Amino acid sequence: MALFPLTSNFEGDFVLQLVAVDTENTMDEVAAAAAVHSVGRRVRARPGHILRIRRQGADEFLPRTMKVADSGLKPTETVEVIWQMPHG
Amino acid sequence: MAVLNRMDWYDLARSTNWTPTYVTEDELFPPQLAGAFGLPQNAWEKYDEPYKQTYPEYVKVQRDKDAGAYSVKAALERSRIFENADPGWKSVMKAHYGAIARGEYAAASAEARMMRFSKAPGMRNMSTLGCLDEIRHGQMQLYFPHEHVSKDRQMDWAFKAYDTNDWAMIAARHFFDDIMMTRDAISVSIMLTFSFETGFTNMQFLGLAADAAEAGDHTFANLISSIQTDESRHAQIGGPALKILIENGQKAEAQKRVDIAVWGAWKLFSVLTGPIMDYYTPLEHRKQSFKEFMEEWIVAQFERALTDMGLELPWYWDIFLKDLSETHHGMHLGSYFWRPTVWWNPAAGVTPAERDWLEEKYPGWNDTWGQCWDVIIDNVVDGNMAMAYPETLPYVCNMCQLPILGTPGKGWNVKDYPLEYKGRLYHFGSEVDRWVFEQEPERYAGHLSIVDRFLAGMIQPMNLEGALAYMNIAPGEMGDDAHNYAWAEVYRALRETRKAG
Repeated sequence: MALFPLTSNFEGDFVLQLVAVDTENTMDEVAAAAAVHSVGRRVRARPGHILRIRRQGADEFLPRTMKVADSGLKPTETVEVIWQMPHG
Repeated sequence: MAVLNRMDWYDLARSTNWTPTYVTEDELFPPQLAGAFGLPQNAWEKYDEPYKQTYPEYVKVQRDKDAGAYSVKAALERSRIFENADPGWKSVMKAHYGAIARGEYAAASAEARMMRFSKAPGMRNMSTLGCLDEIRHGQMQLYFPHEHVSKDRQMDWAFKAYDTNDWAMIAARHFFDDIMMTRDAISVSIMLTFSFETGFTNMQFLGLAADAAEAGDHTFANLISSIQTDESRHAQIGGPALKILIENGQKAEAQKRVDIAVWGAWKLFSVLTGPIMDYYTPLEHRKQSFKEFMEEWIVAQFERALTDMGLELPWYWDIFLKDLSETHHGMHLGSYFWRPTVWWNPAAGVTPAERDWLEEKYPGWNDTWGQCWDVIIDNVVDGNMAMAYPETLPYVCNMCQLPILGTPGKGWNVKDYPLEYKGRLYHFGSEVDRWVFEQEPERYAGHLSIVDRFLAGMIQPMNLEGALAYMNIAPGEMGDDAHNYAWAEVYRALRETRKAG
């Protein structure tokens, strides 16, 4: 358990923002923490979508249940928070 | 006794130089301050300034010019222009004075460095007058706003801003410290006068003077037009120095300084002048869009000045030209959304009529920045104000110290430009900002951005209250919407009409 700063690059928003998460948080929880600062403020919610996390420039998303501590992300590293239609 | 004609003595006076005998040349002109670039003394004696003026001429001309600006101010003091001005226009003045007045005063010290340490005697003469210019500009731009301090606390930031840790001032100081406070005399002449003043003060002072006259603020229009005529004179200090460097095989070093300074100036003006011209100035008083003004007055002039000089366009010119349509919209959205952290009241500038103008000037605006504004407008109309403010910090660039941003909505292209250096992860707003850092990492590596300071625990408590205290924003100074959200009424009415329909 430790505070961990990340930089959120939220799909559809215009600016990078500081997001404080915990090393025990999952990627879904990181996405939710990032959404607090974008969705409903400058980005409209997209019903039926979920939010996924990926490293900047990566094609693959990090697993939804992966913890920050296990992700290899560095403090303040930028993650992209991307809208996704759940499969099936 | 007859007085010699000016041209009988001028060349002798302006080329008089020291021949040290009791000290070495390096003691008289320490290389770190003089910036001789390894060139011998006689190379610098060829420096030939294009604009020649004597001290008595300077005093006479400036006395007349200052008297003109001060008498317009005196004549209009009772006109209640300030009281009756559009709130967006008041914000223009507050942003301008806070960002510029004390910077001008600081520039006097940079001019003084050229005046004392340049090996070129002609440059020393020009800089003496330039130094006097900057002292006068500092004084005038503090004196003019002072009459409004008793009416509006934010006007006090004309003096106060430069000493604070407000994010915008950290950005301004980082840039000015880099190009003028910590460079040798020759680099100052290239970075401050040639790169910054030739191009960008034209924009702030000419563009704004036109808008001021349109807005009926003749005091401000006169003041800044008067200042601009000085700037165009002392901006010519750098050109002849560049010529000497290029002739003596130092083109690459000269080019690098130009490239660094032009980029930093662009970023600073994208946050200062861009929002002013395209959002704060009332629609009916806008002469040109920021982009149009930049293309006509900056891009064309710079391209000519650089090629005339034998320099190349900066390597990032294509990036710069593309950013002319984008960056300042993000800077405006950012300073508006984080409005409690600025010393002026940003005007939203997004009524339907203003959006039509933005769409015409910047095709695609509604599908990009407009999408973010749609959400803000809905929150304001619904009275959901908590969501119309931020709850965290924007991530800022470790070079320009401004938010790292890009185009939102359907054109989403926001990107971080990270760099790990000696175990620390730096973030940059563009490839160019990162390139500047890489030119001389040790020069910049120790600086902490406002976000770095927050993460280091230097801002306590770690919330908006702590941030405002850290930025020295006292109660009554915090920015809010310039028009107290009156612009949202038209959207409320539109919504009612739609419901009724």
